[in-house]
Amino acid sequence: MAPEERTYICAICVICGYMQAEAVTMQTLNHQLAAIVGPAHLSEDGAPFAVHGRAPLLVAAPASVEELAQVVAACHSARVPVIPYGGGTMQSWGRPLVAERFVAVRTTRLDKILIYEPDDLTISVQAGMPFATLDAALAANGQMLPLDPPWPARSTIGGLLATGMDGPRRLGYGSARDLVIGIQMVEATGRVSKAGGMVVKNVSGFDMMKLYLGSLGTLGIIVSANFKLMPRPRAAASLSCRFARPEGAFALADALREGQLTPAAVEYHEGQSALADSPGAASMFTLEVRVEGLAAAVERHLRDVTALAERHGAAEVATLPSGSPEVEPLWALHNNLPQTLERDDNELVLRLSCLPAELPVALVDARALAARNGLQLRLNARALNGVAYLRLRGVELAVWHAAMLERWPHITLLAAPVGLAAELPAWGREPANLALMRRIKQEFDPDNLLNPGRFVV
Amino acid sequence: MNRSQLIEELRRVVGPKAVVSNPHDLMTYDADGCVMDTGDPHVVVLPTTAQEVSAVVRLAARYNVPIVPRGAGTGLSGGATAMQGGIVISTARMDKIIQVDTKNGRVLCQPGVINWELSQYLKPYGYQFAPDPSSQKACTIGGNIANNSGGPHCLKYGITASHVLGVEFVLADGTIIWTGEGSPAEPGYDLTGIVTGSEGTLGLITAAWLRLTRLPEAVRVVLALFPDIAGASSAVSQVIAGGFLPSALEIMDRLAIKAVNDMYQLGLPASAGAALLIECDGVEDGLDELLTDITAICLRNGAIEVRPARTLAEQNQVWAARKNAFGAMGRLAPTYYLVDTVVPRTRLPYTMEQVGRISQEYRLPIANVFHAGDGNLHPIILFDRRDSSQNQRALEAATSVMHVSIEQGGVISGEHGIGVEKQDYMTLLFSTDDLAAMAGLHQSFDPHDLFNPGKIFPKGRGCGELAALRRAGTAWAELKGV
Repeated sequence: MAPEERTYICAICVICGYMQAEAVTMQTLNHQLAAIVGPAHLSEDGAPFAVHGRAPLLVAAPASVEELAQVVAACHSARVPVIPYGGGTMQSWGRPLVAERFVAVRTTRLDKILIYEPDDLTISVQAGMPFATLDAALAANGQMLPLDPPWPARSTIGGLLATGMDGPRRLGYGSARDLVIGIQMVEATGRVSKAGGMVVKNVSGFDMMKLYLGSLGTLGIIVSANFKLMPRPRAAASLSCRFARPEGAFALADALREGQLTPAAVEYHEGQSALADSPGAASMFTLEVRVEGLAAAVERHLRDVTALAERHGAAEVATLPSGSPEVEPLWALHNNLPQTLERDDNELVLRLSCLPAELPVALVDARALAARNGLQLRLNARALNGVAYLRLRGVELAVWHAAMLERWPHITLLAAPVGLAAELPAWGREPANLALMRRIKQEFDPDNLLNPGRFVV
Repeated sequence: MNRSQLIEELRRVVGPKAVVSNPHDLMTYDADGCVMDTGDPHVVVLPTTAQEVSAVVRLAARYNVPIVPRGAGTGLSGGATAMQGGIVISTARMDKIIQVDTKNGRVLCQPGVINWELSQYLKPYGYQFAPDPSSQKACTIGGNIANNSGGPHCLKYGITASHVLGVEFVLADGTIIWTGEGSPAEPGYDLTGIVTGSEGTLGLITAAWLRLTRLPEAVRVVLALFPDIAGASSAVSQVIAGGFLPSALEIMDRLAIKAVNDMYQLGLPASAGAALLIECDGVEDGLDELLTDITAICLRNGAIEVRPARTLAEQNQVWAARKNAFGAMGRLAPTYYLVDTVVPRTRLPYTMEQVGRISQEYRLPIANVFHAGDGNLHPIILFDRRDSSQNQRALEAATSVMHVSIEQGGVISGEHGIGVEKQDYMTLLFSTDDLAAMAGLHQSFDPHDLFNPGKIFPKGRGCGELAALRRAGTAWAELKGV
């Protein structure tokens, strides 16, 4: 047989065989998963769970860690990729999935509090619990987990950790990275492993929590997590300091950084005032300061921050005192700015990370490039942390992105118009330690079945 | 291995003066603060740059000898001990503070910088490095990061991992990487977080960007005296449960008070069975009110006296007594075994009661000086190492404490690390699957077990073996519970 002929025949065999095998695989897998989770919790209607326009062939909703592990193990045996799916509020993050056929594994039925001894100020909770549900349970005991995610009623604990989403109060309380004390995972093969514990200080073994946090489900599926909690503050108040120019707002932020006040959040906002009824809001730049703690300390902060704001030329300083009904809605707006669930067709949502002192410069660039390209820009920045969330609307999004990335390497794509998500470098410039990250991925998911293609590795 | 040839090559890399190979001089390096375990390195090198460290790592790989990173050797778990010989890389000469960058809230320094010296250096800027282990006058930043060290102020400011922004790190193939620099949300896996607390088993830290913490406007220190440790422990549990946020809650028991009382002229009454050090910091406003509330809890739990440290000098004196209490143990017994464990904070009173029982059962005095606010116990078993019966009982008492702690939902180490000392306790806490995941992570950094081999993972269940079992995948179920 001539070599060309052999190639030709084999190619046909391979394709036919592949397609048949795939059909058989999916059918078998369908039966297997139905047996594990029960037919009522397995759906073939993947459309509502489509990610970047691609729908899963099956959606499984296991009720326990064991079931979830079995689902993942079955998919692993069949070599069918899996996407972990919580509340679905951040599924647009990153790049489109590289797989054509995949299974969505929902964590929403894993929604129990496992251990909660309020007097220990720790909690163990399953991954599928919505943040708001957890917050209500904690509030009943005068406690909190100050993570402030977008869409708290839908956003799940697992999704929050897998994305590493932060909130304005990371300044005062740290991010999930500082508050997670234990974790349980289902790994790519369906193996279940845990790390950490239920104590606030622990160096027993590697800190695997750090590995899984923010890894976008590429190393395993988070099934439960333990947190260290904070007492809810006795008093809380907010100041909304409005400036005619961004420089004024950042000068105030600088003064706060240099001083010894201890605000819980210093959030910069531009593009639209959070206080809806303010006149001329669109051209305003605001610095919102949230203070929490003892009543006397909160009062002191209100006095001092007001004075500082005036000294730095604030056009207006609005105080929302402790107990004011406007405090929560105001911060809910800030928390929600990075949300990706509801957005316009021509809207780009991004996270920018840089050194804290570089933030004002980065935003000057973002603003100038937006103006040059005729884009609308709205943004929130954790003014003292070096994180900003940007929403851009318009046509020349790709041009803006390319120019911005040239100056600022760490820009993450949280949501993009159809088509653009595949085109843009979703995780910014290639990270310096990509080879090492690939070795980690290879070790934990050698067949690349967990969220393939969506993350940095 | 041709030792003399290796030494010759090492001399060419770091210079002849930076190589220690004389058996007499090597004795300094045969243990760290954990004297229960000793091991002689073949050679010790003291490089000054990441490039030198990288060259030493390449040599070690070529000669197939292990590398054991070492800071000041104050660790209490044998983490810096060369159990399998090899090259000890001492960071003692990498002791420069390179850059203070207050605008970005960070400081760049080498791993051999002493924790205390860093904080002293930062003071004039109005900042501190918040993690403050009791050994801070000797221990190094590199060791703090490698062990994710704690200290009294973790209660408010968090563990070391929350204060490391990025490290320069030498990998097993000699590559030098930076894991971060202070940009808080860089895409990719959190290599900084992974490296912190990995006890020198993944590579060697050659520099670090650390987080600066602003010095508080006001600090208050109060010492509450109790007739016994039960009252002090209950007070701590209630302070935590009540949602107060002190910056430190430290307990010393009767034996510890005895040891430090004379040394620091604290003038504490003999009737004091426990002293609770309470520190609150923040803005001036509200601080007194907070202390009043905490003091009231102490009095409700039977405190016999509450002594405020009125001046900075008095505060420093009280803190010096607390932080040097371990050193003062030498006044009570020739040897001590310091057990490090953490329990949920509601379990503190019961666990302390059990520690008292264990002391009686094994007929050895146990002193307690600990980070009560975090539930982090430090029972200090006092014994005479020359007496083999006491030696044995000390080890058994320590194991007994560990079992009680785990039974109460605790863990085997809060801040000292696993090293050699605790490696066989790992299976009390973790399943084979749990350990295998850690081994998998280890293998992706150090596939040939070059860095600090034989640590953390249980003896006889090496990292490579665990990872290989894990990779085998399907066979795993049968191997479970081995």
